[in-house]
Amino acid sequence: MKEESTRQITVIQTAAILVSTIIGVGVLPLPLFAVRAADSAAPLITLLGMVVAFIGLALVTILGKRFSDKTIILYSEDIIGKWPARLGSVAIIAFFAILTSLTAREFGEVVVTSVLKQTPVEVTVIVMLLLAAISTRNTITTFAYIHNFYFPLLIVPVILIVALSLKNAEVINLQPIWGSELQGILKGTLTIAALFQGSFILSMVIPSMRNPQKAMKASVWGIIIAGGQYVVIVAAAVSVFGAEEIKNLLWPTLELAKATSLPANILERLDAAFLAVWVTAVFTTLLSSYFLTIYAISHLFRLSDHKMFSFFLLPLVFVMAMLPTNIVQMYDIIENVGRIGLFITIGYPGLLLMISIIRKKRGNRNEGKSMDETG
Amino acid sequence: MPFSKGFKKSGSKKTIKAPSQKLAAHEDVKINGSLEQSINFVQDLLGTNVDMVIRRFQVFGKFPAAMLYFCNMVNQTSIHSDLLKPLMYTPPQIDRDSIELDQLKNIIINDALYYTGSMLESNLTALVESILRGCTVVVVEGIGDAFIIETRSIEKRSIDQPATEQVIRGPREGFIEPIGTNIALIRYRLQSADLHIESTEIGRRTKSKVAVCYVEGITNPKLVEEVNKRLSKIDIDGVTDSGYLEQFIEDNHLSPFPQVQYTERPDKIVANLLEGRVAILVDGSPLALVVPTVFSQFYQTVEDYTERFLLMSAIRLARLLALMFSLVFPAIYVSIISFNPELIPTEFAVAVAGGRAGVPFPAVVEVLIIETSMEVLREATIRLPQQVGGALSIVGVLVVGQAAVAAGFASPITVVAIALTTIGSFATPAYNAALALRLLRFPLIIMAGIFGLYGVMIGLILIANHLLSLKSFGVPYLSPLIPGDFQGYKDLIIRGPLSWMTQRPSFLRQIDRVKLGDAGTKDNKGHEEPAPRPATNNKMEES
Repeated sequence: MKEESTRQITVIQTAAILVSTIIGVGVLPLPLFAVRAADSAAPLITLLGMVVAFIGLALVTILGKRFSDKTIILYSEDIIGKWPARLGSVAIIAFFAILTSLTAREFGEVVVTSVLKQTPVEVTVIVMLLLAAISTRNTITTFAYIHNFYFPLLIVPVILIVALSLKNAEVINLQPIWGSELQGILKGTLTIAALFQGSFILSMVIPSMRNPQKAMKASVWGIIIAGGQYVVIVAAAVSVFGAEEIKNLLWPTLELAKATSLPANILERLDAAFLAVWVTAVFTTLLSSYFLTIYAISHLFRLSDHKMFSFFLLPLVFVMAMLPTNIVQMYDIIENVGRIGLFITIGYPGLLLMISIIRKKRGNRNEGKSMDETG
Repeated sequence: MPFSKGFKKSGSKKTIKAPSQKLAAHEDVKINGSLEQSINFVQDLLGTNVDMVIRRFQVFGKFPAAMLYFCNMVNQTSIHSDLLKPLMYTPPQIDRDSIELDQLKNIIINDALYYTGSMLESNLTALVESILRGCTVVVVEGIGDAFIIETRSIEKRSIDQPATEQVIRGPREGFIEPIGTNIALIRYRLQSADLHIESTEIGRRTKSKVAVCYVEGITNPKLVEEVNKRLSKIDIDGVTDSGYLEQFIEDNHLSPFPQVQYTERPDKIVANLLEGRVAILVDGSPLALVVPTVFSQFYQTVEDYTERFLLMSAIRLARLLALMFSLVFPAIYVSIISFNPELIPTEFAVAVAGGRAGVPFPAVVEVLIIETSMEVLREATIRLPQQVGGALSIVGVLVVGQAAVAAGFASPITVVAIALTTIGSFATPAYNAALALRLLRFPLIIMAGIFGLYGVMIGLILIANHLLSLKSFGVPYLSPLIPGDFQGYKDLIIRGPLSWMTQRPSFLRQIDRVKLGDAGTKDNKGHEEPAPRPATNNKMEES
């Protein structure tokens, strides 16, 4: 029974996990990050960030395929030995715990600033974290179902906003496409690549996939859809507001929603509705990083049940979320933590892959075809 | 297989073996041939009952015997003519004087009795139990076995239209209480040797007959096994309706959502059996259970399939809309009014504000009050006798609603919103699913009152996550939506044409998934083709 219930995730579900994990609260300040780095070349730098992120994801995928029935926590021990691997795992756990808390805080700030102006930020943060904590108390199959279910809710509103904002768009704002100044491109690329870090969840999902050998297909599609959406949003924001204007906006995507309205005057302003729908996007991101954290902890301690950690971790994450004193400091931390995190989500898997190729280590590859051909 | 998911119940449960304290004491007592002793035994146990009949007579005018039965559970006319008479008169082909005691048993069974349902039994407690079931027992002096004759005949109502699931187009028959009639209703719609009906008894005291029906060759055997396993674990004194069983075999007892579907339509049961589900019938209950159940079943009706697909797809969409409406509409109303009035067009916002000018409460309180009184009204209308019910609903809805607005107690738009919601919740065909959504509306309204649209989304995410984690007999509750099943999509939001549905939805993991033969998928124009191809089904089975 256990064997079958743990290998049920399909390729489509995996791609949905990746997309809905990547697309989250980071979309709101994304045009700002991109414009700060490269002015009107913002869409291009987003594309660049996407490519960098894909390298990291590809590393994780290749590793996952080599060790198709273990998570990164377990196979890293095979590759580089017990204690160095545990150190790496602790770093992963700590990083994603921090990422969880920062995501919750960031969205809490968004909500408090734009919708619930009288509510303390602590309340919105704890509500989001509680929601994620409750939802992590499910199996990884249900986790995949959850991502699959919310997938359309991430795609449709963004496309709607972008499509509706086209009537205010000016192509001139996007020129010159190559940008004018080059300093900060590297930093900006890394900042944007850091927004894709949630895709690291793939290293936990692959052992539960019905057919792990198809993981690469899922990651390519995941990156294309999520990255494509990033590029489209940045392009839309820049074309509507222009690079200089965006530098004065904290959450340009939200302003984009504010600037548009549905035809026929059904809803006068879209930002509150957009934010409401965007709760699901943030939730899925938060769920993924939270789930990754506790799933990694349970694998580190060789426990079969990860549910016990979900509430155990909650106070810790909450306190960490409350550490930044204001939005400015919070975004400094987010950018720095994100770039440092790239060492963990791209550097560490790269190292593992290199060593595993040198030492010719592989997981057992007798996993043949799919376990169960029906849906 | 996910079907083998364990039944969550503590194993350390005290099992009470004896169904009846009186009978337990005499469990292995056999008939010793003495008529008086047997009669006394039964008389001791059942003699105090007014409907107990003990009729002494002589078999073939020679051998003393007695007949025991409950007079109201049998058809007495047939006992007189078909039972007592042939036992008293010697069959013409047999010479009365030559009958010996040791032949008597065979002569009675083979030559005298006109009943098909008769058997021999030597255990006294078994005799008592069969009398209780409505059988007639004949005990003869000197014979170690008693004759048990199936004479049960209990008054039953006639088969009429199902009260809760009426359709405009479709069969008009509904289940009634006796299980035998219900099985017959199923069997004549599904005349197949593959239809299996297994029967067990559940209930220590009521001994209710429970039948598990499935179609062999379609239904996954592991599902049948799981159903039987869960049923066998039930240890309760009485089962008076299938609803009792539902609460024991469902996966999640705390969920507001029903995980077992019930229906009183035999045609619906047959359709479900053919889809690969298992039906459970209980004697005495006009409602049969169907497992496994997925959420989409609750907004589908029989009519969806009997009427043409385009029309019913549109109606199904309306039903889905009503379903969503009944869950979220009041919550969205509250959050827009109290947090985000800028969302709605200015003219309308002004109108709403004007309507609310005299209302002393915040929107959330107002909506909660009206919602609660609506629930009270609805409950009262159900409980009242039919003649008064109509009057009450008019007084309640029209007069009280109008007066509440006039008194400045509620704004007219609130009343409109709540009325729409209430009507929406009636559009859901399944009463228990509508009830779940009705219940969940209240926490959503409160969330909306605290956090606005943000709160509504949080609430909806919680509900959706719960639905996603729910399973019914190992089948994910939101299948075929999640996990995706292309065949199932054709019958999810719209009802696709029957010719599209060539295969059964795969989430039930049937053995045989082919639903439509090759010929069925073709247009009617195909008639022009000469000579039909032989063995059209083979191709489908191979692929």
